[in-house]
Amino acid sequence: VRLSNKVSFCFVLLFISLLTFLSEPLPWAPESLKVSINSTHQCLHLQWSVHNLAYHQELKMVFQIEISRIKTSNVIWVENYSTTVKGNQLLHWSWESQLPLECAKHFIRMRSAVDDATTPEQRFWSNWSSWEEVDVQNSLGHEPLFVFPKDKLVEEGSNVTICYVSRSQQNNISCYLEGVRMQGQQLDPNVSMFNLHNVAFIRETGTNIYCKVDRGDDIKGIVLFVSKILEEPKDFSCETRDFQTLSCTWDPGRDTGLLKQLPQSYTLFESFSGKKTLCKHKGWCNWQVAPESQEMYNFTLTAENYLRKRSVHILFNLTHRVHPMAPFNVLFKDVSVTNATMTWKVHSTGNYYTLLCQVELYGEGKVIQHNVSVKVNGELVLSGLEPDTEYSAQVRCANANHFWKWSEWTRQNFTTVEAAPSEAPDVWRNVKSVQGYCVVTLFWKPLSRLQANGEILFYNIVVEDLDRPSGLQLLSVPAPANRTELTLDQRAYQIHVTANNSVGTSPASVLVVSGDPGDEEVEEERVKGTEDGFSLSWKPQPGNITGYIVEWCDRPRDPLCDLQWKHLGPNTTSTVISSDAFRPGVRYNFRIYGISTEMVPYLLEKKTGYSQELAPSDNPRVVMSNLTSHSFTLSWKDYSTESQPSFIRGYHVYLKSKAGQCHPGSEKAVLSDDSVCCKYKIDDPKQKMFVVGNLQPESFYEFLVTPYSAVGEGPHGAFTKVTTPDEYSPMLIRIILPMIFCILLIMILCYLKSQWMKEKCYPDIPDPYKSSVLSLIKSKENPRLTIMNIKDCVPDTIEVVNKHEGTGKSPTEPEAAKPTYLYLLPAEESYSGPGPCICFENFTYNQAASDSASCGHVPVPTKAPSQLGLLTSSENLLTALEKNCMNSLEEIPAGESSLNYVSQVASPVSGDKSSLPTNPPQPELCSEYKMQMAIPLGLAAPSSSGSSSLSSITLLDEGEHYH
Amino acid sequence: MGTSAEPHSLVLGLLFLSMPAMGSCSDKYPELLGQLQKQADFMQHTNTLLDLYIRSQGLDKNGLKEHCRERPGAFPSKDALQRLSRRVFLRTLDTTLGQVLLRLAALEQDIPKAQDLEMLSGVKLNIRGFKNNIHCMAQLLPGSSETTEPTPTSPGASPSPTPTLDTFQRRLEGCRFLHGYHRFMRSVGQVFREWGKSLSRSRRHSPHQGLLKGARRMQLSGRNKRLMPRVQLAPGSHRGAPGG
Repeated sequence: VRLSNKVSFCFVLLFISLLTFLSEPLPWAPESLKVSINSTHQCLHLQWSVHNLAYHQELKMVFQIEISRIKTSNVIWVENYSTTVKGNQLLHWSWESQLPLECAKHFIRMRSAVDDATTPEQRFWSNWSSWEEVDVQNSLGHEPLFVFPKDKLVEEGSNVTICYVSRSQQNNISCYLEGVRMQGQQLDPNVSMFNLHNVAFIRETGTNIYCKVDRGDDIKGIVLFVSKILEEPKDFSCETRDFQTLSCTWDPGRDTGLLKQLPQSYTLFESFSGKKTLCKHKGWCNWQVAPESQEMYNFTLTAENYLRKRSVHILFNLTHRVHPMAPFNVLFKDVSVTNATMTWKVHSTGNYYTLLCQVELYGEGKVIQHNVSVKVNGELVLSGLEPDTEYSAQVRCANANHFWKWSEWTRQNFTTVEAAPSEAPDVWRNVKSVQGYCVVTLFWKPLSRLQANGEILFYNIVVEDLDRPSGLQLLSVPAPANRTELTLDQRAYQIHVTANNSVGTSPASVLVVSGDPGDEEVEEERVKGTEDGFSLSWKPQPGNITGYIVEWCDRPRDPLCDLQWKHLGPNTTSTVISSDAFRPGVRYNFRIYGISTEMVPYLLEKKTGYSQELAPSDNPRVVMSNLTSHSFTLSWKDYSTESQPSFIRGYHVYLKSKAGQCHPGSEKAVLSDDSVCCKYKIDDPKQKMFVVGNLQPESFYEFLVTPYSAVGEGPHGAFTKVTTPDEYSPMLIRIILPMIFCILLIMILCYLKSQWMKEKCYPDIPDPYKSSVLSLIKSKENPRLTIMNIKDCVPDTIEVVNKHEGTGKSPTEPEAAKPTYLYLLPAEESYSGPGPCICFENFTYNQAASDSASCGHVPVPTKAPSQLGLLTSSENLLTALEKNCMNSLEEIPAGESSLNYVSQVASPVSGDKSSLPTNPPQPELCSEYKMQMAIPLGLAAPSSSGSSSLSSITLLDEGEHYH
Repeated sequence: MGTSAEPHSLVLGLLFLSMPAMGSCSDKYPELLGQLQKQADFMQHTNTLLDLYIRSQGLDKNGLKEHCRERPGAFPSKDALQRLSRRVFLRTLDTTLGQVLLRLAALEQDIPKAQDLEMLSGVKLNIRGFKNNIHCMAQLLPGSSETTEPTPTSPGASPSPTPTLDTFQRRLEGCRFLHGYHRFMRSVGQVFREWGKSLSRSRRHSPHQGLLKGARRMQLSGRNKRLMPRVQLAPGSHRGAPGG
C-alpha cells in the first residue's frame, strides 16, 4: 500500500509538471519570426531566434517550416531545417518561390524541436508560431496591370512561372510569349499564372513576355533572360617552362549567350597549398610556383555564373609537366667538305634535369634525325655531308626523364665547303664532213650537284692528234656552255674533256674522233614506241667493247634537234629510251654506237619509230595529167612520208562518179558523208603515181588521194573534180583546126589581092597622076591633054546646103537639101591666086540652138546678099570656124564626093589657128554647134581621096558643080 | 537594311565631321543649309537606328511593335519647331540632339552585338557632325554673338528614363524614344527645307547675289552684324527671325 501510494504521488507530480509545461512556452521554441522578401530572386527570407536559450548553450535543433499560399490552409511547402543553435543566435532560412511572390499572399509559420540523435523518440515539437503573412501586392502601386517576375535569369530548359496582377476584374487580359499567346491559370479574379516549361534561348537580349488589356493601350511585360547552360571546361592542363610559373589552359566551351546579364568567372584552386586565384581570362590562367619546391599540385578549375558552377580537377607532379623553352644560340663550327659540328644551348632548368634534344638535318632532299642528351650545352658532329651543299638543321628539346612536350624548333642553315668535281662529264659528239674537214660538235651534260661539288666554272678540252702525239690543242669553254665545235682534218684525234670548279678538275672524259664516220651502210629498223619510251635492243658486238651509246634527238623537227645520248655498259644489249620531250606523232631516229677500247665510236644500228602513231594529218598535193576520155593520171611526187605522224603504208585513191560502178581493182567505199565511191588501194608507200582508168567519156568524176598507216588514213577533205572529154573531140580538133587555118589564110590572100586590084583598076577616087590609063592616053593619043591643077580653080560660088535635120528626114534626101549659092566673086577677072578655103557653119545641125545669141551664132538668112555680108566679116567667120562647128567627114557620102571636084582656097585672113580670136564665147552654150574646120592652104594640096570628103560645104567652080 | 545604312552613316559622319576637324566653318549659307537638310533627311530614316533597335530587342512581334510609338511631348512637334525663330530653333535642335546622344549611350548598354554597336557608333558620329553643322549655321545667322534667347528645353527628351524601370519597360521606352527621334529629324528636315525655299525666293527677288557672303564677311569682321539683311535668309518666313 505504501508503495502504491508513492507511485500515485509521483504520477500526480508528473501530471502537474506536464500541465505546467503545456501551459507555458516550451523552452527553445522559435520566436521573433520575421519574414522579408527578395523580389529579384523571388525569395522569402525568414529570421528568428530561439526562446530561452542560454548565451553559452549550444543545441542541435530542427525547425519545421510551413508555407501556405493564398490562404493558410493551402500549405504548399513543409521543410525541416536542422541546425545547431547557439545562445541568442538569429537564425536565417530562405525559400525561393516558383510563383512570383507578387502574385499571391504567402503565409509562413514554424515550430522547433531538439534534434538529439541519441534519443529521437524524445523529440517534442514546440507550438507553431503564428502565421506570418507576406502580401507584396499591397506595395505594388496603383497601376492597372503588373507582370512578374521581372528580369528573371534562368537556364534554358528550366520551368518558369509567370503571372500578372490586374487591378480591375473587368479587364480582359491576354499574355504573349514572343508574340504567341499563352494559356494561363487563374489564381484569383485578379491574378493569373502561366507555366512555361523547358524555356529555350532565343536571343542575347532575352525573351519578351508581355500582357495587355484587350481594349486598351496598357501593355506590361517582362524580359526573361534565358541562358545557355554553362559548360564544363575541357582540356584543362598545366605546365611550366621555367619552374617559376605554371600556365594552365582549358577550353571554356560554348558561350552562355548572356555575358552581360550573366557574367561567368573561372577560379583556380590548389588544394595542397590552399591557394586560390581568380582567372582574368576565359581560357587560361597563370599560377606562381611555390618557392618551397612543391612538387605535387592538385588544381580545381571552377567555372561559375549566377546559375551554375562547374569544376574540373587535375593532379600532377611539376617535373612531369615541363615544357622546355626552345634551344638558342645554334651554331656550326669546323664546317668542312663533309663534316660540321653543331652546338646549341638550352635554358637553365636548375641543372637538375636532363633534356633530350632532337636534331633534324635537312639536305639533298633527305632528313637525318639525331637524338642528343643535354644538360646545358648541346653538341653534335654531323658527318657524311656532301660538298658545297646547303643544309638546314633544327633542334628541339624535352624533359628526358618524364616526357611532356617538345620545345619549339630552332633552325639554322649552313653550307659545306667545295671540292673538286668527282665525276667526268658525260661527253658525246656529232661529226660532219665539210669540204674535206671533220666538223666535230662536242656535247656534254652538266654535272649534278653531287658530282660537281661546287660551281663549275669552265670546261677544258684537250684535242690530241693520234698520228702526232706531240700535237696537243687546248680549249677552255666557260660554263654553263654545254657544247663546242671543232674543225679537224681527216685524221684520228683523241679528245679529253674535264670540268673545273674553284677547287680542282674532274676526271677526264675521253673520246676518239676518226676521219671516217662510217655511218652509211647501216639499215634502219622500225621500232614501236610506247608511252614509257622506246625499247631498243641490238646485237652484241664481238671483240672488246667498252660500252654502247644510244643517240637520238628530242626535237627531230627542229634544226638544232636537241641531241641526246645515253651511255650503256659493254654487257648491255637493250635499253629503254624515255624522255619527257617525246610527243605522239613525231618520228624519232635512234643510232646505236659501240665504243671500242680505243674509245672510237662506230655505228651499229639505226632505229626509227613513234612513241605513238597518229593518223596522217594531211593529204598529198595531187597533180592530174594525161586526161583522156577514159583515164587520167594522178601523181604526188613531192609528198614526204618521213614527216608524217605515222609510218605510211600506202595510199587510198577515192573516185566518185555518177555511175557509181567500180571496176576491177577498186572496191566500193562509203564515206563519212554517206556518199559512195570507189576506192583504189596502193600498198607501196613509194608509189606516188596512179592512173585512173576505165572512165566514161564526157563524165564527171571526183577523186581524192589520201595516205594510210597502221592507225588510219588521212583526212577526207575536198575531192578534186574532173570531167572527161568527149571521145571524138580530139580527132575533130586534129582535122578541123588545120582546115580553118587554111581557109583563113586563103581569105587573107584574096583580100590582099583584091585591094591591089582595086587600087590598080577601080580606086574610089581616081588619081589622074596615078592613072596608068591617062598616062597611056597622054603619051599616045593627045599630048596636049593635061591634068587640071586645082590651083587653077577660082571659086566663085559657095553652095550652102540647107538640111533640115529636125524634120526627121534623112539629110541625104534630095528634096530636103536646098542649096543656096553664095557668089564670092563679082567678076572672074578680079580673082587671082588661090582662093580661101572656107567652111561654114552648117545650120542643118543646129536648128534647135539657133536662137542663142551668145554663141555668136547667126541664123542663116534666105537671101544671098545678107549672107555675103556676113561672111565678109573675117572675125565672124573665124569665130564660127573656131567653134566646134566641124562637120564630120563621113557626112558626105562617098559616092557623092567622088563625083565632085573640090576646089579649096586659102582663107583670105589667115589659115593659122594662132591668130584666131582669143576670147571665143563660152562653149557650154554652144554645145549644139558642130565645128567646121578651115583647112590650111598647105594641106589643101590635091590628094587622092582625102580632100574629096573633107566637108559637106564645098566650094564649087561656077557652072561645074553637081548635085 | 542595317547593312546598307551603315556605309552611308560612316560616309556622312566623316563628311560632316570634316569641317570642325579643320577648325573652320563654311561661310556658304546655301551649302551649309543643304548639308543640314540632307543630313536631317538621312537621319529621319528608321533604318539608321530604330529598325536596328527593334530587331535587337525582339520588339518586332505583332502586338508589341504597335506600342513602339512616340510619346507625345518627348520631342518638339513640327509646329512647335516652325514657330521658333531660327536661332532658337538651332539651339533647340542642338540641345535635343545632345540629349539624344546621352540617351543613345544608355541604350548602348542593352545592345549586346558588336555589329549593332558599331552601327550605333556611326549614328552617334552622325549626330555629332550634325551638331557641328548646327554650330556653323548659328554662326552664319546675324547677331550670333549677341542673341541671348532662352533655349526651350525639350519636354520629354530626358537623357534616360527612370532608372527603376524594368528591362521590358526600358526597352519599350527606348523604342518610343527612337521613334520620336526619327519623327523629330523629319520635322527638322522640313523646317530646313522651308529655309531653303525662302532662300530661293529671296534670290529671285534680289538681284544682288553676293549679299549673303558679304553679310557673312562683315559679320565675321564684327563691324556691323545687322548688315545681313533678312531678305537673304527668309524674308518674312519666321515671326521670330533674328533682328526682327
